[in-house]
Amino acid sequence: MAVLERIADNTAGSASFAELCRSLWADKAVATEDKAARLCRLECGVNTLPDVCQWLTRDLDFIFATLIVEQTARPGWSLTYVFYKDAASPWVHVAVQLDAGVSALPSLVGLAHGPSFDWHERETEDLFGLKFEGHPRLGEFVLHEDWPEGVNPMRRDFDARARFVPRARDPRWEPPTVVVDPGAFTMPVGPVFSDFAESAHFLLETVGEDVIRTIPRFFYKYRGVEKIAEGQPADRALLLAERFSGIAAFAHGLAFCQAVEAICGVAPPPRARALRTALAELERLRSHAAAITGICNSTALAVATSQAALIEESLLRLSCEATGHRYLFGAVVPGGIACDPAEPNCRHLVAAVEEIAEGLRNLLRMLRYSSSFLDRLEGVGVVADGYARSYGLVGPIARACGVARDIRKLFPYAAYSAVDFSVPVEQEGDGYARLRVLFREAEQSVAIIHDVLSSLPQGPVRLDQIRPRAGAALAAVEAPLGAAFHWLRLDQDGKVARYRVTPPSFTNWHGFHIAAENFAFQDFPIILASFGLSNAECDR
Amino acid sequence: MSIAAQLSAAFFILCAAGAAFAVVAPQRLLSVLLAAVGSLAALCILAAGAILLLADGEFHVELWPVLTLGTLTFGADRLSAFFLFVTGLVYLPVSIFSATYLKKYLAHHSLRYFCVLYHVLFASIVLVLIAEDVISFLVAWELMTIASYLLVNYEFERAESSRAGYVMLAMSEAGTVAVAIAFILAAGTAGGLGFPALRSAAPAIPDALRLVIFLLSFFGFAVKAGLVPVNSWLPLAHPVAPTNISALLSAVIVNLGIYGIVRVNLDLAPTIGAAPGLVVLVIGSLSALIGILYATIQGEMKRLLAHSTIENMGIVTAGIGAAMVFVAAGHRVVAAIALIAALYHLANHSVYKALLFIGTGAVEAGTGTRDLDRLGGIIHRMPWTSAFFLVGVLSIAALPPFNGFVSEWLTLQTVLRSAVLSSTPIKIVFAICGALLALTAGLAVTCFVKVFAMGFLGMSRSPGAAAATEARFGIRAPLAILAVLCIALGVLPTYVIPAIDRASIPLIHASATTALVPPFFVADAQQQEKVPPTFLSEFHDLGAQVGNDVLPGRGLVVLHRGGERNPVVFAMSTSYLTVALAVIIAAVFIVFNLLTRRRALARGAAWDGGLRNLTPELTYTATGFSNPVRVIFGALLNPAARQQTTAAVATHFRTAIKREYTEVHIIDRFVLHPPIDILRTLAGQVRRMQVGHVNAYAAYVLIAMLVALIVGARLL
Amino acid sequence: MANWVLKGLLSGIKSSDYPRAGDDAPGVSPGRPVGTRLNSTTAAEQLVARCPTAAIARADGGVAVDHGRCVHCFRCRRDVAEPAEWQQGFEWGAYAGEPALRKLAKIFGRSLHVRFVDAGACGACMSEARQINNPYYNMHRLGIFTTPTPRNADVLLVAGPVSDAMRLPLRKTYEALPTPKRVVAIGACAASGGIFGPSFAAAAGAAGIIPVDVVVPGCPPPPLAILHGLLLAVERKPPSALMSPPPQRTTEPA
Repeated sequence: MAVLERIADNTAGSASFAELCRSLWADKAVATEDKAARLCRLECGVNTLPDVCQWLTRDLDFIFATLIVEQTARPGWSLTYVFYKDAASPWVHVAVQLDAGVSALPSLVGLAHGPSFDWHERETEDLFGLKFEGHPRLGEFVLHEDWPEGVNPMRRDFDARARFVPRARDPRWEPPTVVVDPGAFTMPVGPVFSDFAESAHFLLETVGEDVIRTIPRFFYKYRGVEKIAEGQPADRALLLAERFSGIAAFAHGLAFCQAVEAICGVAPPPRARALRTALAELERLRSHAAAITGICNSTALAVATSQAALIEESLLRLSCEATGHRYLFGAVVPGGIACDPAEPNCRHLVAAVEEIAEGLRNLLRMLRYSSSFLDRLEGVGVVADGYARSYGLVGPIARACGVARDIRKLFPYAAYSAVDFSVPVEQEGDGYARLRVLFREAEQSVAIIHDVLSSLPQGPVRLDQIRPRAGAALAAVEAPLGAAFHWLRLDQDGKVARYRVTPPSFTNWHGFHIAAENFAFQDFPIILASFGLSNAECDR
Repeated sequence: MSIAAQLSAAFFILCAAGAAFAVVAPQRLLSVLLAAVGSLAALCILAAGAILLLADGEFHVELWPVLTLGTLTFGADRLSAFFLFVTGLVYLPVSIFSATYLKKYLAHHSLRYFCVLYHVLFASIVLVLIAEDVISFLVAWELMTIASYLLVNYEFERAESSRAGYVMLAMSEAGTVAVAIAFILAAGTAGGLGFPALRSAAPAIPDALRLVIFLLSFFGFAVKAGLVPVNSWLPLAHPVAPTNISALLSAVIVNLGIYGIVRVNLDLAPTIGAAPGLVVLVIGSLSALIGILYATIQGEMKRLLAHSTIENMGIVTAGIGAAMVFVAAGHRVVAAIALIAALYHLANHSVYKALLFIGTGAVEAGTGTRDLDRLGGIIHRMPWTSAFFLVGVLSIAALPPFNGFVSEWLTLQTVLRSAVLSSTPIKIVFAICGALLALTAGLAVTCFVKVFAMGFLGMSRSPGAAAATEARFGIRAPLAILAVLCIALGVLPTYVIPAIDRASIPLIHASATTALVPPFFVADAQQQEKVPPTFLSEFHDLGAQVGNDVLPGRGLVVLHRGGERNPVVFAMSTSYLTVALAVIIAAVFIVFNLLTRRRALARGAAWDGGLRNLTPELTYTATGFSNPVRVIFGALLNPAARQQTTAAVATHFRTAIKREYTEVHIIDRFVLHPPIDILRTLAGQVRRMQVGHVNAYAAYVLIAMLVALIVGARLL
Repeated sequence: MANWVLKGLLSGIKSSDYPRAGDDAPGVSPGRPVGTRLNSTTAAEQLVARCPTAAIARADGGVAVDHGRCVHCFRCRRDVAEPAEWQQGFEWGAYAGEPALRKLAKIFGRSLHVRFVDAGACGACMSEARQINNPYYNMHRLGIFTTPTPRNADVLLVAGPVSDAMRLPLRKTYEALPTPKRVVAIGACAASGGIFGPSFAAAAGAAGIIPVDVVVPGCPPPPLAILHGLLLAVERKPPSALMSPPPQRTTEPA
């Protein structure tokens, strides 16, 4: 009991947390800590794993971030479950070693926050061939039905450049179904659908008119980024980090560069950190403007769509003026920033985003008085608070259902610790709450850009040379769509040995089906737009 | 003895022979014998009906006297003749269909029993129609009721058959009792049991008694016609009955209810005042709407058709109700139009409903199922059946130029003619009923688009449907006959209306022929006086007289003339529409061929969004198609939902979600179940008396005796 | 709702002048490197070495650029001895192989229906494709429309290197288009596989799966480049070239 009281009292500070782990799991797990990285590492056996994870998630309210699987040098596997909680708590890495002969470990999906492990386990099963005992739904996830059984592309012995072998289409394929009402049927949507929709496939189960349940099918766009990055030099892999999801290129590029910098033990100069903050917020602003355009478009509000699209396009042009590229490709490099805007350019940028903020305020004011618009958003696609926690949802979607979690506050990077901003939260969890979060975050982004650029430190924008080092690091950033976790391991030549990305879309698409239950069919595009997720980012 | 009487006698001899054959002939010949004898009998009745209707030949035969109740009399007037003709029209194809259909029972059922009853039923139906006194009517009526009950319950070993049969028999007997009481009350005034005696005594019946007679007889006949609120037996009986009996039930037996309503209320004991007519009109309109509403949400074809029978009988009844109101108000020509519309619809319904039931039988034989959710795509494998069925579907959905359109259109127009009435409340009732009927017509389209699209088009949703086999000739032939009849009755209304008018004249005492299909184009100066010459010439230009030169008819346009200011109240011509449609279709075909003459035509698979495979599970089901109706009318249908969810490991991994909707028919819910529940509760209370002690029973006997003695003493 | 109408009217006309005239508003296009004359071979070698996608190759007197491979990484522009020539503009659409012989402009007239297929695009190409519908570029004024079904489409717009799972949908979509049809591949990925393909999970662009008529290079191509590609597909605009060699020396240096 005493231990539990201590947990309730104080989980702050990594030192005390490591001590707590030692006292509680003394004989079952080894706790080590890294104060500089605010990290506590718990090494435990396969059988203790569910207990440790249950303790972390159910009792301490930690959130599962990502599962990192590595094939170790001596034959076998290393699995690291990464957890995080709040600004006072450290990262917790729960590590498990598997011997070469063992290819099965217990599934964690039955735990209190089980759903958050679900997709990670399915992905690992598909790509590494590791079995999770007790998981009810393995297989047919990343690799689609016609992929040959037993070929696991993330294993070392699989050649990434092996070309596709045309395979026969399986004529026995039938859609999976859950609804068994008499007369129930499935409305297929996609993979090629709508005007400019990303390739994904949704099976809407219905008995007509109202959809009872949605079964999404993703990974149509799986390009094996994590696999093809292996063996590439860091600066070449940076291209992959930027371009696997072009609409959040800067955020993911930044996370990759932060991982490289952490491995090499260097820190970018202050001016670079400030510029990174400004550009990251510029990207967030643009991404949110795009999401707002999408929501207006889904409700067929033509003028609002055009107004939002005008804002989006001006932000694209602004990005191009600031960095030379409309999507900020090539702007971030390990050790700093590739382009150094002159003082007038910065002033122009600040003035332009202030103007855009005014435009967004006007738009929101008008939208709030358009009852036809609100009718279609309010109460549509509701994600309950409890689901947001058990699914470990991130970003604006989680913040729209009362979960105020933001990597910028939890683990400040770039210059975020130096700027003052707030994390907007709404409680309802419906489409309208998500829209309000988008608008309020856009407002904050403008404020951050203003703050950072008006007091830009002088000096270089990048380190001259970074000497490559072997090592591994986890970098987390708050991408426009939510928390992104990049795990990078470099070998001594500075080449990528393992690259693991858990983008926010991956985490949040998993929660999509919660919002897409028991709705009228015509609301489907609205629920889709109010989630505003990217399949490219999810599928990698 | 007239030819018609001779034909009738021949009919009864054939029926007797059929029944006799059924007892002696070998089993495997029975179905063919039944078809042969049944068809011949039907031909006799068709001929008799036609002669009686068109050649003005009534007949009356007096048989032996029964005790002191009077003489058994049979005879046919033109109303009987019309119903006889319709009966023959249905019995002929159904008998042919039976030859093939009954073979499925050979292995495990005795056909003798069936064949005897089949002929008994046929004979009893004809007897009901030609009975001319109360006793023979009631005896024939009861015979028909029992024979139909036994036939519906033919597969009595099935629990649902027995239950359906029980409900059917119970409700029918209640109806018979009501009809019998009504007749006895009427006969009490008349002092005789013959129909002529009743007819002549009718004006003397006091108003209150007349109302009682109306209510009792209407209740009794409404049970047979399947009108709300006494319709519950119909949707139960149809799915369990053999398909040929279902066809007879829907296309012939329910007609007898209408026959009774018309016979009593417009002939034997005409009602006075608008109220009875309005009751009939409202009950008819409600039946129509409730019938089609429940038909639309059904997935089982026979049950769907049964509910649709309620709808169609509702439309017919609404027409009769309108006729009664117009008669009471003195607008005899409009009344005649209403009655013609009603009888026309009755004939049409008999034809297309028989077609649809036989078509359902063909589908079931070919696929093994009648569940629309498990059908689909059978048009490719059963093209003939599908084509004939389509004719039936278009007819029942009342799309021009098919027969359902003509009669529904006439009915709706007549309801709109309430403008001629003077009383505003009555006009309002008419307007509401008109709206109900219009809504019914709309839903009927939805319902039967569903039947055809989900049953015959698209992808096959079960192995049975995927391996469907085309119906045999013995089934296709009756389908073809009925399809031709559907088209003929639809395309040539100007030839049908005068014939039906002949049946209605004796009842309404006015002809609507000159009003509906006026002889404008015959050089008849007197008739043309009332019509402005410009209007006449317009119709000449349109060619309305064309048919008149070629065919012995009255042109090809149905219209109703109004007064000076508004010479035409309504007009339509399915005949010309047919020609126009044919020309348009031919033109489209020719233009399309000309345009694509030099291009190669490519056929590709249906666009499926780039799916791996398009499977039948990914296409609409019948339930899904009609679900919007279920949702819109949710308040009325009031389904009780129950959800069951199963999951593996955690609630997150759902393996099955099952929602079951159970709908209790609105009539059962509000009309039938409350009294039954009260009776059950009362019975439960009474059961407490059954304590099981001898002493207690002795005490009951004593108390009962005391009460009897006291009451007896008081009375004496 | 009236205030929306007013708001729309007050916003005025925003549409680009293209294709009647050029459009040089700042930020409409990131520009791209073109074949460059270089003074030293070491500078040329540096450019070739720095190019991560082998888009830059040595050529007579300098370097040539294969636009189909260029992913706009700016590494031939920043921190090099002699940067590659940078060309603004956006008329990047080029024929892939032999241009179709039959004139299509007449058949498709002034109304062109487009079906877009995302075959593994990163989102930037998708976003730019979506922008051609915004008031600045407004494809409708050029008679270009999108359709939800390929059955009504004239042009198939493909982005992405064609991921494994999208091969079948892409092929099915192409087959569902009625003939005559044109395929426009947008972005470096769809042109050459970009940085993703060819690999176990992605092909080397759309051309390996379906016949491609027009390629719009760029990473991503800006909206006006996509419009140029569509206009080129129906021969309403002249093509650009996929390869850009260094410019020929016109006069001998003094």
